Amino acid sequence: MKKNLTPAAVVLVAAFAFVAFTASVKPPFVSSGPAYAQDDWKKEFDDVCAGTQDAMLFDPEKLKELVARCDALEPRIEKLDGSQRKVMLKRLRMCRDLYRYVLQSKEGN
Amino acid sequence: MKRAFLIVIAILTVASVTIAQTGMKKKRPLPFEYGRVVLNANSEKAGLAPVVFDHWLHRARFTCRLCHVDLAFAMKAGATGITASDNSSGYYCGACHNGERLFNGRKIFASCAKKSTPEDLKRCGRCHAQGRSAKRDSEFAAFTEGFPKERFGNGINWEKAEADGQLALADFLDGVSIKRKPLTVPKDMTVEPKVAEMPEIIFSHKKHSAWAGCELCHPEIFVGVKKGATKYSMTEIFDGRYCGACHGSVAFPLLDCQRCHTKSI
Repeated sequence: MKKNLTPAAVVLVAAFAFVAFTASVKPPFVSSGPAYAQDDWKKEFDDVCAGTQDAMLFDPEKLKELVARCDALEPRIEKLDGSQRKVMLKRLRMCRDLYRYVLQSKEGN
Repeated sequence: MKRAFLIVIAILTVASVTIAQTGMKKKRPLPFEYGRVVLNANSEKAGLAPVVFDHWLHRARFTCRLCHVDLAFAMKAGATGITASDNSSGYYCGACHNGERLFNGRKIFASCAKKSTPEDLKRCGRCHAQGRSAKRDSEFAAFTEGFPKERFGNGINWEKAEADGQLALADFLDGVSIKRKPLTVPKDMTVEPKVAEMPEIIFSHKKHSAWAGCELCHPEIFVGVKKGATKYSMTEIFDGRYCGACHGSVAFPLLDCQRCHTKSI
């Protein structure tokens, strides 16, 4: 039986087996993808907005960097669902607006 | 006939001029009513009474910043548009009122539920209380007994109560707030009044930022970045803008002139 298999058939069987295996086995990084992504934005939010208390002490370069990080975070938060999106967008905007406000005040001076 | 007609015209003229000058006279709220907010963005649509939120109970336990920044409550009543789904997902009121979080060793009652049993409906009535909040007066009196008194608003000097250690305001909510370093307080500043002979205002950043943080006032309420750049009048403040966003609705009211205009002439 084995002797009757052509090389093309062997390749086909091998390819089928490979596809079936990869489809059935999900490596950890795939299954934990969304959770990782969620933690990722929250960690970035916490990191960027933890500085609002010290905003007056930051130099303009640091403030520009923080504003840019807030801007980059916004589309990721826009993708969240319902209540979480509503709350986190407001929090992010308050944080970014404060940095912009302090930046303007420093540049004005 | 002509005389009677003239009298009626005269009365109507005087009445309309009086109303135009003074507007509708507002009833001054009683101490336990001061700071009350009625929220009805979605309540009546859902067949429930509007929510009656009394600031006095919450402001005695939490900073303004915690609720209006970390929990994202808007500064205008109804502007947040809170839904039952928001609360039951753990946002807004539901961040604390989830039936699990403890305060002084007691579980905080849960806000909106996805399914309501007759027992739940009783609980709904604790917040959806417009028209049946008769007990609030006595609850307020018992709660504030021993607090330093003031002339206006709630009749309580909240600032002194905190300074005297009668209140300890929480500014961090586990799972919600960001861990931060202590606040770097900007300097106090004076604000020059427009009216001659009126004492200058000494604005304390320390007092305000301890409760409100930075982003609650800047830039949403105070936009100008340079001192003196934003010109505002008492008329605008009485309309609820600038200082009037809090003073006049929750913080001590604008009738208490000497608490802001403090600099000696």
